[in-house]
Amino acid sequence: MLKKFIDSYKLLIVIPMIITLLSVCLIAFNGVEEGIELKGGTIAILKMNGTMSSSDLEAHLKTALKIDDVDVVSNTGEDVTVEMGSEINHDAFNSAIKGKGTVVSFNAIGPLLSEEAMSQIYWAMLFAFIFMAIAVFITFREPVPSFTVILAALTDIIIAIGGMSLFNIPLSIASVGALLMLIGYSVDTNILLTTRILKRKEGTIIERVREAMKTGLTMSITAIAAMTMLLIATIFLIPEASTLTNIAAVLIIGLTADISSTWLMNLGILRWYTER
Amino acid sequence: MKKRNMSEFFKDKQVILMAIFIIISIISISTAGIEQGLDLKGGSLVQLQLEKPVDDATMDVITAVLDKRLNIYGVKDVKVRSAGDQLVIVEMAGATPEEVESLIGNPGNFEARIGNKTAEPALTGVDITNVEMYEITDTEWNVPFHISIEGAAHFAEMARGKGGEKVYMFLDDELISDDPPSLSAELANGVPTTQVMVTGGANSPEEAEEEAKQIYTVLKTGSLPVKVQVVGSSTVSPELGQQFLEGAAIAGLLAILAVSAIIYFRYRKPILVIPIVVTCVSEILIVMGIASIIQWNIDLAAIAGLIAAVGTGVDDQIIIVDEILTSEKTTENRRRTKTKINVKKALFIIFASASTLIAAMLPLAYVGFARGSSGIGTLAGFAFTTIIGVLVGILITRPVYAKFVEIFLK
Repeated sequence: MLKKFIDSYKLLIVIPMIITLLSVCLIAFNGVEEGIELKGGTIAILKMNGTMSSSDLEAHLKTALKIDDVDVVSNTGEDVTVEMGSEINHDAFNSAIKGKGTVVSFNAIGPLLSEEAMSQIYWAMLFAFIFMAIAVFITFREPVPSFTVILAALTDIIIAIGGMSLFNIPLSIASVGALLMLIGYSVDTNILLTTRILKRKEGTIIERVREAMKTGLTMSITAIAAMTMLLIATIFLIPEASTLTNIAAVLIIGLTADISSTWLMNLGILRWYTER
Repeated sequence: MKKRNMSEFFKDKQVILMAIFIIISIISISTAGIEQGLDLKGGSLVQLQLEKPVDDATMDVITAVLDKRLNIYGVKDVKVRSAGDQLVIVEMAGATPEEVESLIGNPGNFEARIGNKTAEPALTGVDITNVEMYEITDTEWNVPFHISIEGAAHFAEMARGKGGEKVYMFLDDELISDDPPSLSAELANGVPTTQVMVTGGANSPEEAEEEAKQIYTVLKTGSLPVKVQVVGSSTVSPELGQQFLEGAAIAGLLAILAVSAIIYFRYRKPILVIPIVVTCVSEILIVMGIASIIQWNIDLAAIAGLIAAVGTGVDDQIIIVDEILTSEKTTENRRRTKTKINVKKALFIIFASASTLIAAMLPLAYVGFARGSSGIGTLAGFAFTTIIGVLVGILITRPVYAKFVEIFLK
């Protein structure tokens, strides 16, 4: 069965390509929301004295602060996270919320800072990718295998960003961190696959693929399981730590994407490469 | 689990190295403690932007001046540091960003009164036009500065005939020095001069330097070389920080449990599960130990980096187990040499992926060190912790895991 699976490599390559293309479309048309630290604005976490509906709180803040852009991101009754589109003075906010609750975390980012953060993120991502590619080339010293590893990392990142667009996970410093972590996991499985198929001589290629797949899938599944635990724990225990929630969510999407880009696309490309 | 195996394992160089690192880490963590980031221990952070980029010397003056003013105001536990050539970051455990904003938003109000503390000010900050670098000759110090013509006229009038009397200097109504300098006779003759200096003596050259620096900074405060503006601020309450810390710990524990369960179901060998847990925990311990030794801040970003490093660590351990188990199946005789070769092969994959991850993290770590921890600088903490974690993994803990599997899985 595995042989049949591998032999239909053209089909295998096409599936992840389609998912990647769909992600690109999703990103292009739906866009990815920018987090407060990238677009500027204010985010506050409140402990409420009593339950207040999200719309009531929004209306109250709009009049008290004389602003239009107020969004209650999460509201569990006691813990509330509010985002505001502009840089709000901490004192003004404190007095606006007086009697209704207390501010446990307040973060205001001006436009100057957010613009800088945004450009730094683009540069860091670009260089991270270039450095990663160089390291991969040095390891394999062959264009096609190196290319497959890099391509897999790229598709993983694109699909993960597509997932962020789909599930409304904002592009923030935390989610960029997760995308970079994804590079780490992605090269792990792909270097494993490439080494096992190209550098090993024992057994038939089918056997080598089977063994590599067993190892690689175990790796991906453990990582997904660990991240799912992180996601569940942060959602239920620390809903305020959106940093960790976002990292876990992005990684779960990316790691799932990695299974398809490694074992469908790259396996297909390498099979084609060895057959030539 | 034969006795011979045990002693072979514990005599291995890598195993001893890991043990030493763990012991040092535990000692350092328990004595020096771990420096927690503001998002974990609670506190405030204010980011200030200068009106234009400045050179290092000017930046030093600005951070010193801000630090001084916050200290004089009694803001405790405050850290002022530069981030790049245009940003200054003020971190504090207690005060709220508003206090800082009001402190730096307006220039410091400097006043000098001659004779007694309640006398009419002879000189105020607005009169100071320029402060020159302080000079120190052995234990004597002086800080030369220039005042405006009007200021000079007023000062000359106030100082006339008061040679030798104390000059009390105030910054925002706070007395700067308990042992104020005296007015020199040549300034008390009633003739206006725009070039003045504060002089003093101390017990040692170091003390002289310190006193001179204090006066210099105070005089400068009234006139920061460039305008500053608050561009961002954040506050985390200590309770929320504590909650973050506990949540992250529970999440980590659950993650390790999930990994153990999957490893058990995949291999059905409990003997493989324990060392994976031990390896993960040692990696966390050693990275924390290193953080404690170099006083590296552990914040949420650093915890994320730790997760990344430990996560790829689990990947590596699975690769090691599979390489060794495959060798078991293929050749029955000469298994030991075969195992050795396979461990080498596993280590090749591990080193390749580790160096790739480190390469990807380097630009981020660089951005952080060059720009300081503002904005994306947070990511530098993440990148740095990942790099340290991966290095600890491939150099210290993962070879031990390989050794363990090699010896006990025969």
